[in-house]
Amino acid sequence: MSKVIDIHTHPTFFETINSDPNTFEYRRQAMGLYKAVLTPLQHIFDQMDYAGIDKLALLPLDLTTVDGQIVVSNDEIAEIVRQTADRFIGFASVDPHRKDAIEALEYAFEELHLAGLKLHPSRQKFYPCESELFPLYECCIKHNKPVLFHAGISLEPDTNSKYARPIQFEEVAICYPKLRFCLAHFGWPWVTETAALLLKYPNVYADTGLLYFDNAREFYNHVFKTELGEHWVDRSLRHQVMFGSNNPRFEQIRMVEALRAIGWRGSTLDLVLGENALAFLG
Amino acid sequence: MFKLEKFIFFTKSYNQMILLTDQLRTVVAHSGIQNGLAAVITMHTTTGICVNENLDCLESDIDDALKRLVPEDIPYAHARILPDYGSTAGNPTGHIKSMLAGNSCIFPVMEGKLVMGNAQDVFLYEFDGPAQRTVTITVTGE
Repeated sequence: MSKVIDIHTHPTFFETINSDPNTFEYRRQAMGLYKAVLTPLQHIFDQMDYAGIDKLALLPLDLTTVDGQIVVSNDEIAEIVRQTADRFIGFASVDPHRKDAIEALEYAFEELHLAGLKLHPSRQKFYPCESELFPLYECCIKHNKPVLFHAGISLEPDTNSKYARPIQFEEVAICYPKLRFCLAHFGWPWVTETAALLLKYPNVYADTGLLYFDNAREFYNHVFKTELGEHWVDRSLRHQVMFGSNNPRFEQIRMVEALRAIGWRGSTLDLVLGENALAFLG
Repeated sequence: MFKLEKFIFFTKSYNQMILLTDQLRTVVAHSGIQNGLAAVITMHTTTGICVNENLDCLESDIDDALKRLVPEDIPYAHARILPDYGSTAGNPTGHIKSMLAGNSCIFPVMEGKLVMGNAQDVFLYEFDGPAQRTVTITVTGE
């Protein structure tokens, strides 16, 4: 069986980066995870082992021009990965409105060796097709790194979905066919828009980090068997959908179980649970 | 007199039993209390504290019985985003099993020793693991 990779997790409350109580509380408020607790790495590894997950992609968030703060920094991500490289894949985050955004991204790729770029249009207040973003996309292409965009509604505070409707990303897909990018959360609730983009643009991916109602099995059945045609992923989108949990907001363990129970072919499950992430990461 | 100790466990499975009898005996022995009561209490709402015989056949029977009583695949109301948390509630079976199991047990302490039946052991029951769990053991008396 292929390695299982969760392409969408937030290390925001890892004990190793939360020695300062004020930072910890800021992170709770910034993420809208108001009762989050400090998480020892041992617990993360126990969850991964129980769920059969080999690696987690860790996503930081740079809100320099929005909050005047960075929720989790690229340096913190790099340090976590350095200590436990066999379990984690580190992404970078850059606030696109920073004057030194491109330098920060170059540093993250060249010096910190991070694997891709996370951008959050709703929280960082930009439309993905704004020209201000183009140098960042070109930097990713130059370094053969992917972009993981937040897409769809966000439960974080101070977010507006208008920036992140899936259709807003079509211009990027058209202008940058060599840029691999992922629409996180399958762009929920606009999942048919996401499916349409995946169908047309092979460089566009989506992750499964969506659990906005019900339990994982119920919600995945609703989205992947009712909102989308029952066979759409298994027949047409199987090379572009990646397992992502959005942990700790959603429940990683039950989401893996629910994906395995959805009825896709075994080869599709291998793609979704890990092989597509490897292709996405390049 | 009053003595309280906390024990932290990293559980490894969704449902799991962890023997606590040795920890209980140790706290009582080191408490200096000769006559009183010892209590084992979990600090969580998806775990239980139970007294039973330490046999693997009973462990699987208890696990099976709880699964029959509280199946995973029925539509519970506790399956939604909780606004106060900002995250998903998806552990209704853990809460219900916790209620069935209870969150504590208590034993007499006499002449510095626990008064327990020969077949009795104390267990932490995990119903929503893997997780980090804290259990308190308290001894009160003179």
